[in-house]
Amino acid sequence: MKKSLLFTVLFSAVMVAQAPQGAQPPVLPGPPPQARPGKTAAPVDFTGYWVSPVMEDWRWRMVTPVKGDFASVPITAEAFKEGQNWDPAKDEAAGLQCKAYGAAAVMRVPGRLHITWQDDNTLKIETDAGTQTRLFHFNSKAPANEPASWQGYSEANWERPVRGEGDPRNDIPPIFSTRTGTRGKSLEVVTTHLRPGYLRKNGVPYSDNARVEEFYDYHKAPNGDEWFTVTTVVHDAKYLNVPFITSTDFKKQRDAAGWNPTPCSTR
Amino acid sequence: MTFRTKLPITTISIFTFAFALTGPVFAQVDLTGEWAPAYHEDGPERLPGPELGDYMGIPINDNARLRADSYDADRISVVTEYQCRPHSADYGMRGLGDLRVTRQIDPTTQQLVAFHTYMPAWGSVRTIWMDGRPHPADYMPHTWQGFSTGVWDGNMLVVTTTHLKANYLRRNGISSSDKRTVTEYWTRHRNYLTVVEYVDDPVMLTEPLVRSQNWTLDPGQETHRMFCEYAPEVPAEVGSVPNHLPGANPFLHEVADWYGLPYEATRGGAKTIYPEYKLSMPQPEQPAPAHCERFCVCSVLLDCNLHGGALGGPPPAR
Repeated sequence: MKKSLLFTVLFSAVMVAQAPQGAQPPVLPGPPPQARPGKTAAPVDFTGYWVSPVMEDWRWRMVTPVKGDFASVPITAEAFKEGQNWDPAKDEAAGLQCKAYGAAAVMRVPGRLHITWQDDNTLKIETDAGTQTRLFHFNSKAPANEPASWQGYSEANWERPVRGEGDPRNDIPPIFSTRTGTRGKSLEVVTTHLRPGYLRKNGVPYSDNARVEEFYDYHKAPNGDEWFTVTTVVHDAKYLNVPFITSTDFKKQRDAAGWNPTPCSTR
Repeated sequence: MTFRTKLPITTISIFTFAFALTGPVFAQVDLTGEWAPAYHEDGPERLPGPELGDYMGIPINDNARLRADSYDADRISVVTEYQCRPHSADYGMRGLGDLRVTRQIDPTTQQLVAFHTYMPAWGSVRTIWMDGRPHPADYMPHTWQGFSTGVWDGNMLVVTTTHLKANYLRRNGISSSDKRTVTEYWTRHRNYLTVVEYVDDPVMLTEPLVRSQNWTLDPGQETHRMFCEYAPEVPAEVGSVPNHLPGANPFLHEVADWYGLPYEATRGGAKTIYPEYKLSMPQPEQPAPAHCERFCVCSVLLDCNLHGGALGGPPPAR
């Protein structure tokens, strides 16, 4: 009799777990749970020193391309016109040396990153190239009066599994979930409030309305090396015909070897 | 306990166990669909084709460099065996092509057996086995698409490919060997697909080549068949293979001179791919042109070749 009861309970639990995602979950008493701090909820550790071996776009990253070279960037005619007027001396005189180091471009600049937790809800990325600091804010929205800056305001979250219609089934023990294979490991970042800048050092522009989506994915190579890839999607209706999509690969270092902070440069 | 009570318990326990086992295996990230490539990295290389002598960004060894230096672009026009040479599984993902991903489900167990991919370039069909089968023995035949198996790591599909034929790392003579192993990391975020490729080729590279490609979901995309006919395109003696002997290739400096780059940098190799190389990079032998002259607007093929992209004209309105 006891065995029968056990199996009945198990059977019921599994059937609940297999129910369509659109089914109504049980109403739980009490207020909704508070969001967990980004650091506590992190499924992946991105902290440490990372280097970007430049095995893509070498000619547009390791050297400053010549004026008018927009290759690979889906520019509009307006961007083409703007890019023809690129004048690094003028940018220097105006104190705009960091235009090519903004959030839409800085991950593509050859260099090293130092990633740390500034606090429980803020992941900090420092770049040695251009000596820039990016702050990824978890559980936070951009303040209404947030000023535009090179790095803008970045909202971050740990990407949740893709789901269809219906509420998440948080009431189900993971072992019975039909979606455990989709558990997210990715960091998703959306950056706005940007100053206008350059996608490349030779003046390929993005506007102050640009919105940058990023997806950070950690992976371990067969030889044990740790890598992450950031897929960067720049949306800018003024200067881009379609979203500009690149993905940049970083390899983890054991220490700060090669870390060499340098100021922004226009050339 | 009577027979009438025993039967349901047995049935239920089997049913329960089967459900618990099969549930997590099936429901993964949906990678299936029609994917349109984004040529927003290395567009001129991947669309019209790479410049001769451009080895930039690839950690090739001396053997690979020597072999690449012997390459002559007429080889494809003269040696018909090369004309319809397919892109391999790894180069195909970097090269030119729309991508279709479908999945094969076992009708009985409802478990994922495999992903299948199709790319129109040379009609490349590939299978990524998801059922845990082992890779074949080393001596088994190598093919253009090789033998691929996949496992899930959270929301990432990790694919290992072996048994590949030698092919391209870049379509200007930089070859891959049939000894390479390719590991891929597939992730989907919203309607973007990113595939990171990690090519470990002990014959041609001093360290793994790591590149990543991106696609956007395009449900209306129509992929086509590709027809490739063999035909001699350049007059040449039967059996000849256009080539350059060591030190005799007159075209190797072109890419450095056209773009105002140091010749040393164009030769590739691991030391040139790290950021600190910028500090030791020699000065170019020829100054860079004042304005872009080649493939200046080039993120889709027509722009690169037909709409003035090669001459530095504006992009067509879209």
